[in-house]
Amino acid sequence: MTQGSGNNWVGKAFPRKEENRLLRGRGRFSDDVKLRDMLYLRFVRSPYAHAKIISVDTSAAEALPGVLCALTGAEVAAQTQPFIEIGPEPFAKIKDYPLAVSKVRYQGEPVAAVVAESPALADDAADLVQVDYEAIEPVLDAEIALENSSILHDEAGTNQVWNGVFEYGDVEQAFRDAAHVVSIDKMHFHRFSSTPLENNVVIAEWDPKDERIYYSCNNSFPSFAIQFLAAHLNVHIDRIRVETFDIGGSFGIKITSYPQMAICALASKKAGGRPVKWVETRSEHMTSSAHGNERTFRDTRVALDSRGVITAITSRHIDDCGAYPRYEPLGCVIWAQVFAGVYRFKNARIDFTQAVTNKCPVGPNRGYSRMQHLWFLERVIDICAHQLGIPADQMRLRNYIQPEEFPYTTPNGCVYDSGNYPKMLEVAKQRLGWDEWREKQAVARAQGRWIGIGIGTTLDSGTNNFGQSQIVNPGLPYSGNSQGANCKLDIYGEVVVAVGSCPQGQGHETTAAQVVADVLNIHPDLVTVRTGFDTERNVHTGFSGTYASQFAVSGLSAVHGAAQKLKTEMKRLGAFVLQTGEDDVEFGTGAQGPELRATSTGRSISYWGLANLVNANSAVLPPELYEITLNCRYIWRAPFRVPDKEKKYGNLTLTYSSQLHIAVIEVERDTFIPRILDYVAVDDCGTVINPPIVEGQVYGATAHGIGAALMENCVYDAVGNMLTSTFSDYIPITAMNMPKLKYDHIETPSPHSYSGAKGMGEGGAAPVHTISAALQDALFGEGVFIDDSFNNADSLFRALVPKEVSQAAKLVKVEKRA
Amino acid sequence: MAIKLDGEFEVPRKPEEVYEFLTDPNRFAPLLPDFQSVTVRDATHFNIQVKVGISYIKGTADLNLHLADTERPVRAQYRGEGKVAGGNVAIIAGFNLSPVNGGTKVVWQGEAQVFGRLTSVAGGLLEPLGKKNVQKLIDALQAAMK
Repeated sequence: MTQGSGNNWVGKAFPRKEENRLLRGRGRFSDDVKLRDMLYLRFVRSPYAHAKIISVDTSAAEALPGVLCALTGAEVAAQTQPFIEIGPEPFAKIKDYPLAVSKVRYQGEPVAAVVAESPALADDAADLVQVDYEAIEPVLDAEIALENSSILHDEAGTNQVWNGVFEYGDVEQAFRDAAHVVSIDKMHFHRFSSTPLENNVVIAEWDPKDERIYYSCNNSFPSFAIQFLAAHLNVHIDRIRVETFDIGGSFGIKITSYPQMAICALASKKAGGRPVKWVETRSEHMTSSAHGNERTFRDTRVALDSRGVITAITSRHIDDCGAYPRYEPLGCVIWAQVFAGVYRFKNARIDFTQAVTNKCPVGPNRGYSRMQHLWFLERVIDICAHQLGIPADQMRLRNYIQPEEFPYTTPNGCVYDSGNYPKMLEVAKQRLGWDEWREKQAVARAQGRWIGIGIGTTLDSGTNNFGQSQIVNPGLPYSGNSQGANCKLDIYGEVVVAVGSCPQGQGHETTAAQVVADVLNIHPDLVTVRTGFDTERNVHTGFSGTYASQFAVSGLSAVHGAAQKLKTEMKRLGAFVLQTGEDDVEFGTGAQGPELRATSTGRSISYWGLANLVNANSAVLPPELYEITLNCRYIWRAPFRVPDKEKKYGNLTLTYSSQLHIAVIEVERDTFIPRILDYVAVDDCGTVINPPIVEGQVYGATAHGIGAALMENCVYDAVGNMLTSTFSDYIPITAMNMPKLKYDHIETPSPHSYSGAKGMGEGGAAPVHTISAALQDALFGEGVFIDDSFNNADSLFRALVPKEVSQAAKLVKVEKRA
Repeated sequence: MAIKLDGEFEVPRKPEEVYEFLTDPNRFAPLLPDFQSVTVRDATHFNIQVKVGISYIKGTADLNLHLADTERPVRAQYRGEGKVAGGNVAIIAGFNLSPVNGGTKVVWQGEAQVFGRLTSVAGGLLEPLGKKNVQKLIDALQAAMK
């Protein structure tokens, strides 16, 4: 038996503890929850993208037998407060309610809700609600929205949500000194979403006796949601209980389900306190849950030296956040976590503006706000490389932050903890067979085939400094980051861990058990990790949830801290009962299970015996040990400071995982279908806690990114109808479309986390950048400039045929001064 | 989603008779494919109900129409809006009549702006379905006005 400070389980390919439950169909998802007297809610949604509401008549629906009640926007507005706005004035003046009150602002916006004894009755009743509208001209483009010719929110008087200039270094001098200046007129990052297997689900029960609200749901950031809900519903936050269980994916999108949570609570209140369940349909999810941010990049200018090293970038970025800001305008600063990407340029000016449009509101979507900027930087790198005739790999090697420069401070004050991008490129090229593919590409091109090889190097910044929210609104009371955990020895000696995260497939049960097992020197199977989130476990902080690639750092640091506290208490108690010094007590597993043993005498006590002393046999304890509870709560806090709001300067994120992908793609000349011929994904998330879990998340993020690049696009027609509201039209990627992935990884341990691990799982949308780069490489000779992140056969056809004037010549200009 | 259709056909009746027929909802509306009912509110306003079946969307379209911009017996235009299962629709449809070979040439144009889920779950089917139903309507008109 060895002292329990070893690092035996972290790093091992320990099988996921969750699988025993999930693979046998024994998971507990929100829709599995059935409460007594439960009712079912259905929304009536707007067919218009922009219209005045003339009248809402729910009488026919309410007259249907089995229908309990209906809710309208006017009724909701009369008894609630508008949702709090994160952004500053004047946009903070808008009145955002969970049901439209006088106007609808996107197709699919909820206008009314009906509550019935069964889901089918609720469906029928919703069809009977009569709503009269007067259509208004919709605004579907953020740049046009900024002209304010049609205002979405009259209270704000503008469609501009936020604007700020992020400027660092001496931009003008860098351009004066440049050997080359590349100008790019316009690029566009498209709107796509996440398609979790499980849609949003809410069960709400408003207890009329004491005004308490119980939620069983799959929201993935409940501590954020209850802050919005409490203010909106005029209920003290401590009277709202939220429980989550297993969640079938979120990818950030389920953070913004609080409007539906509000309606379910109000419906329960109106129905006399009976629980109300809402289960979102797939079409509802596609049209009206949340999409990823769409972004346009205008007037980009890049200064380079004679070797192709970028010295400065200027650009205007216009972000489309859909009809309501909701989680925005946080995205207006979150991109700045990766301001410089993986590159060394020191001078830059980005003028960032966000606008509302008559589309589905956006929400955090895997790689939230950073992937758009990373795509922009990767396009800049590739376009400059092609224009200057520098091979894509060499261009990157000349511009990468070098391994010896870590920890590296970016122009805007972010501190990159660790990394080795040249090494990742080397590993990826080796796994791909770079030289062989280059030879094959040359042969294929001679045959007239369009084959391209593209590189994407990205960052997955994890564990936010919420102080960055003050850059978008100096009045906000948030800063830093924290996570809570509890580790206890229960009355029968079982090690039980609770943490304030809501896992959606990331293996938190397993990795938390591995960490505790290492601290106590026991097997992870002897550690029980409570599934899901529960406000009443009292282990959450204002930042608890699962988002932003942070569990490996914040969650496991909290677990580690709680386990250490427990260990300290156990050791003290063990020394007393074993009649030895604390230094003589060792942790391990004996014949009767986990135990503490005195190395000097060989005497031992099982965990059960130890717990019994505190909980059931306490008269034997001396008073000086009364403070021992064997029930240890620990709050981990990230070492952040509030950023400089004026200069927009400071460390915005604690860890930076990196991804380097290479794709080989052929665009078929007859069909214009882009086909992936080879694909490599190399990941660096620092110390790997559990290799299969990391690999699985890399596969997931890669699939999502490939889908986004080639298949998944939220398409709206000219009047704001969303044309991709089903899987027949949206076409999410499946295993059938996935290429065979060559996966590899390197480890550059983070100095900013106790274990060296970095948050990961979002993946930086690396495939989107990589595939754009590969298509650029394939088609540059045809005069095609990849200016959009979405490229399917149809868009490639439009780019290639007819091609009277070179698109690249129109949109990209190079000023060669040297 | 906008659906625009146009065309022309001939019937062996004089323009005055054709005009009378096409502006009388009680005579014209029953020729619509899957017609269910018509309610005339006044000389220029009426409601029509037709059955709708597009893919798995089935229900009734309830259309409020009015006759506008008329010039007897040369042209007329219907304008209106309505509710269809899964969406709303705004309609403008008109015709111009001219004498030809002892009969009348009918030149017609129609535009339907469709809003709502219908466009995304059945958007690809709307235009071909519209063309099919217009042809059925023309066939029925020609048969009725022989």
